[in-house]
Amino acid sequence: MAIKHSHPGIASSFRGRVALSAIAAAAAVGAGAFMCVPAFAGQQMIETGSSLLYPLFNLWIPPYVKAHAGLEITPQSTGSGTGISQAIDGTAQIGGSDAYLSPALAKQHGTIMNIPLAISSQMVNYNLPGLGKTHLNLNGPVLASIFQGKIVAWNDEAIAKLNPGVKLPNEKIVTIHRTDGSGDTFIFTQYLTASAPEWKSLGYGTTISWPSAPNAIGAVGNPGVVDAMKNAPYSIGYVGISFKAVTQSNALGEAALENQAGKFVLSTAESVMAAADALSGKTPADESLSLIFAPGDKSYPIVNYEYAIVDAKQPDAAMGREIKAFLSWTIMPEHGSAAGFLDQVSFVALPPSVEKLSQTQIDKIGQD
Amino acid sequence: MTSAALKASADAFAVRRPRLAKLLRRAPRFRDLLAVLGGAIPLGVVGVVAFLTIYAWPAVMLNGWGFVGGSEWNLGSTYADPIVTNGIPVLPGAHYAILFLIGGTLLSTAIAMIVAVPVGVGAAIFLAEAVPSWARLWLSLFVELLAAIPSVVFGLWGYAVLIPLVGKHIAPAMSLWLGWIPFLGGSPGNGYGLLAASLVLSLMIVPLITVTLRDAIVSQPDSLRETAAALGATRFETVWLVIMPGLRTVLIGACVLAIGRALGETMAVLMVSGNALGGLPSNIFGPVSTMASFIVSQLDSALTDPTGFAVRSLAEIALALCLMSIAVNTLARLLLSYANGGRP
Amino acid sequence: MSATTNRPLVHDLALARRRHLISQLGWIVCATTLAMLGVAICWILGMILIKGVSALSLKIFTAPTQGNGGGLLNAIEGTAVLAVGTLILAVPLGVAAGVYVAEFPVGPWAKTIRFFCDTLVGVPSIVLGYAGYVLLVQTLGWKFSAAAACVTLAMICLPYICRSSELAFAAISIDLREAAYALGAGERQVILFVLLPAATPGVLTGILLALSVSVGETAPLLYTAGWSNYLWNGRLFDSPIAYLTYAIWTFINEPSASANALAYAAALLVTSFVLVVSIASRLLIRPR
Repeated sequence: MAIKHSHPGIASSFRGRVALSAIAAAAAVGAGAFMCVPAFAGQQMIETGSSLLYPLFNLWIPPYVKAHAGLEITPQSTGSGTGISQAIDGTAQIGGSDAYLSPALAKQHGTIMNIPLAISSQMVNYNLPGLGKTHLNLNGPVLASIFQGKIVAWNDEAIAKLNPGVKLPNEKIVTIHRTDGSGDTFIFTQYLTASAPEWKSLGYGTTISWPSAPNAIGAVGNPGVVDAMKNAPYSIGYVGISFKAVTQSNALGEAALENQAGKFVLSTAESVMAAADALSGKTPADESLSLIFAPGDKSYPIVNYEYAIVDAKQPDAAMGREIKAFLSWTIMPEHGSAAGFLDQVSFVALPPSVEKLSQTQIDKIGQD
Repeated sequence: MTSAALKASADAFAVRRPRLAKLLRRAPRFRDLLAVLGGAIPLGVVGVVAFLTIYAWPAVMLNGWGFVGGSEWNLGSTYADPIVTNGIPVLPGAHYAILFLIGGTLLSTAIAMIVAVPVGVGAAIFLAEAVPSWARLWLSLFVELLAAIPSVVFGLWGYAVLIPLVGKHIAPAMSLWLGWIPFLGGSPGNGYGLLAASLVLSLMIVPLITVTLRDAIVSQPDSLRETAAALGATRFETVWLVIMPGLRTVLIGACVLAIGRALGETMAVLMVSGNALGGLPSNIFGPVSTMASFIVSQLDSALTDPTGFAVRSLAEIALALCLMSIAVNTLARLLLSYANGGRP
Repeated sequence: MSATTNRPLVHDLALARRRHLISQLGWIVCATTLAMLGVAICWILGMILIKGVSALSLKIFTAPTQGNGGGLLNAIEGTAVLAVGTLILAVPLGVAAGVYVAEFPVGPWAKTIRFFCDTLVGVPSIVLGYAGYVLLVQTLGWKFSAAAACVTLAMICLPYICRSSELAFAAISIDLREAAYALGAGERQVILFVLLPAATPGVLTGILLALSVSVGETAPLLYTAGWSNYLWNGRLFDSPIAYLTYAIWTFINEPSASANALAYAAALLVTSFVLVVSIASRLLIRPR
C-alpha cells in the first residue's frame, strides 16, 4: 500500500477540514439516531432450522405475533442440522428439524425434546425438458444407483423398465444433493436405506458422505436445490413438499415413488395421510419415529414428522412460557394446524393421538 | 508481606535482572501507552493461531498425516453411537482427508494466476507508459475500484451472469475447440465449477498485480528510458526489454501477494464453484471446493456430529489455511521489500 | 546502429519495420488487457446498478425484512451499527500501533508489531470469523451478537489502519518534530497535537479503507452476527443482528422474485457505499 504524499488533498485546507468535519458529524448523528432506536422491551424468540419447515413458520408467525404484543419471533431457514445444534446450545429457542435427535445426542442432552408439529413429505423432482405432464416412476434401488453414479444416463434400461412407453432422453443425469446438515437428506437417505439394500453401507443421516457421481452438484437449502435444478437441465434431486408450488411454477417434474406394497404413488394429501395412519400409532413418548416406507397400498413412502427441537430447561421463565404458548397454538386444529395454514405448504395435521403426545412434551417446557 | 520485605525482594530482583528492573521502575511514558494499545495486533494473531491449534489438536492427533493424504469428508454414521479412539470420541466410520480441498485451492489459484498475470502486467504497462499522467489517476481509480468491490458482490455477478455464460457458451465452445488439450475436454458441465471460480478469482486479484507493478514502473528513473531511447529502442521495447527485467522481483512479489489473496477468498468461490464434496474435478468444468469455501459450506452439517469432532476437523482446515496464507504473504512482503531495498 | 555497421540498409529497414510492428502489437495487447478490465468492471457495476435500481423502493428503507420480502431497514441499520462498533474498537488500537511503529521504530517491540501487522493482513477473513465463532460465540458464550461481530471485524481491519497511520506519520518531515521538541513539548503533546493533525489525511485513508472492508465482509459475520429480522435492540451480547451482505448471500438463492430483488438492492447499497468511500479516500491524498 504505497501512498505518495506529494499533494495532500482535502484535509490540508481549512475549508476542506470544515467539510470533512461536517460529514463526520453528520455520520455520527446518523449513527447515533440509529442507536437511539428504543430497545425492544419484550421477548425475542429465535426459530432456526429446516428449510422444509421454514415456509410454514413464515405463515404462522405474523398472525401470532400480531395477536401477542410484546413478542418478536425471527424464523430462519438454515437446515435441520443447524436447528438441532442451535436449539441444544441455546442460541435459538426453537430448532426446526425434519429429523429426530440421534440417540447419542438425546443421551448427551437429556432435556432436549423433539416435538412433532405437523406431518410433511418429500418429493423427488427432476428437470426433464420435453417430458410434459408425465410422472416418471422411480424406486429406491434405481435412485440409489443414480446417486451412486452407477446409472449415468436417463435412458438407462433400469429407468426404462419402470417407465414403459415413456421417451427418455439420452442425456447424462445431474444429481443434486444437499451439502448442509439437512433433514431432507435424512429422510431421503432413510428411504434409500429402507428400500435399497445396496445403500446400506452409506446409511442415513442429516449429512452423509455422498459417493462421487459425475456431475453431482451440491446445493444449500431446499430453495438452493430448486434453483440448481431449474438451472441444470437433466438434473434430479429431492425437495420438501412445502416447495411443491415453486417446483411446479419452474416446470420441474415430480416422480411417482414405489412404496412397500410395490405401488407407485405421488405425494398427495391422501397418500401422506395413509402412511401416517399406518405408522403413527407406533409413536413412542419421546416421539422419535420414522414414518418412512410405511406399509399400505396407498402410502407415500417419504413421509415424516416435522419437529420443533426445544430444551425443556429454559434459562428464562418468561421465555419458556412464550415458547409453550406458541407451540401449543401451532398444534391446535383450530389455530396453527388449521387447513388454512397447512394446505398452503401441503402438510397434514397430526392425528389426535400424536397431538396429545406433543402437548405432553410441550407442557414439560420450563418445568425444570 | 511487610514493606521492608517487599523492598528487599525488589532489590534482589534488581541485582539479578538490572535492565528489566529499570524498565519496570521508571515512570510510564506516552509511548508505553501506545505500545500497550499496539500490542492488540500481535496478541490477536498469536491468540487466533494458538486458539485454533488448541481447539483443533484432538483432530490433528487423530487425523494424523492421513488428513492431507486422501480425499474424503465423511462424518460417519451420525445416528449411531460414538466410539472412543485414542481417548477421543468420534462417530463410527468418520474419516477426514482434505487432499481434494488442497488440490481445489491450488488449482483454482493457479488457473486464476494464469489468467490474471498477463492481464495485470499488460494493464500495468499501459497505465504506466501509454496513458498521459492526467488520465492515469482516473484510469487507475477504475482498476482499484475492482479491488474494492466486496467478494459477495463478485459472487452475485458470477452467479447471475458468469454461470449461465460459462455453462451455455464458454464451456461448450472450449470443450469443442480446445478439447484436445488434456483437462480442457470432456463434459462441459453446467457452469458451476473450476472455470467459473477461477475466472472470478482472477478478476479479484488482477488489481493487486496491476497497481503494484504500475507504481514500480512509474518510479523507475527516467534516465533508463532516456538511455534506451538514445540507443534507438521503441517505447514498447524500452518498457519490455529495459524496465521490466529490472522489476522481476517486484512482479514475483506482486504475484505472490495475489496468490495470498486468492487462497483466502471465500464467498465468491462459494457461490460459483459447485461445492464438490469428495474429489477433484475430472476437467476444468467440473465442480470444485476450496479450503475457505468448504469451511463455510460445511459448518452447519458439521454441527450435527454430537462428538464435536467434525467441527474440530474444520478448525484444522482453518488452521492449515491460516498457516499457508501467512507463509505466502510473508514471502511476498520479503520479496517486495527486498526489491525496494527496504520497506515498500 | 545502421550508421556504424556494414550491413546493407535494406536489411536494417526490414529489421526496423519488424521491431516497429512488434512494438505496435505489444501496445495493442496491453491496451486490450486494460480494456478487458474496463469491460469487466463496467459489466459488474452495470449489472448491480440496473438490477439494483429496479429493486429499489421506499419500502427498502422503511421496512425490515419479513420472510422473503419486506425491506432492508434492519440490515442497513445493522451494518451501520457494526461499522461504528468496529471503528470504535479498531481506530484507537490501530492508530496507536501505527504511531508507535513510526515514531519509535528502534527496538524489538516495534519490529514485532510490524511483523504481526503484515501477518494479520494475510490471514483470511473466514479463518478469523471461524476463530471468532468458536472462541467468542461458543466458548465465551456471547452467542450471535454485535459484540462478537465487532471484535472479529476489528481484528480484520486493524492492519489496514496500522499500516496507513504508520505511513502517514513516517511521511512527516523530521523538522516538525524537532521544532516541537525544541519548544519543550512532551511526547504526548508532539504526537497528539502536532503530528496527528499533519497526518490526518493518511490516517483517514486507513480508516475509510477499514470502513469499506467492514461493510463488505460476509463470511466472518455469518458466524458471529447471525441474522435478525428485527431492528437492533441495543443489546451487545446474546442478540443477533442483521447486515446487508447476508441479504445478498442468502436471498439470491431463494427462488422467490421478491427475495432476489432484496439481494440486488442490498448489493447496490453495499457497492455504492464502498465505491463512494474508495473515491473519497482517493481524494484525500492525490498521488503524483
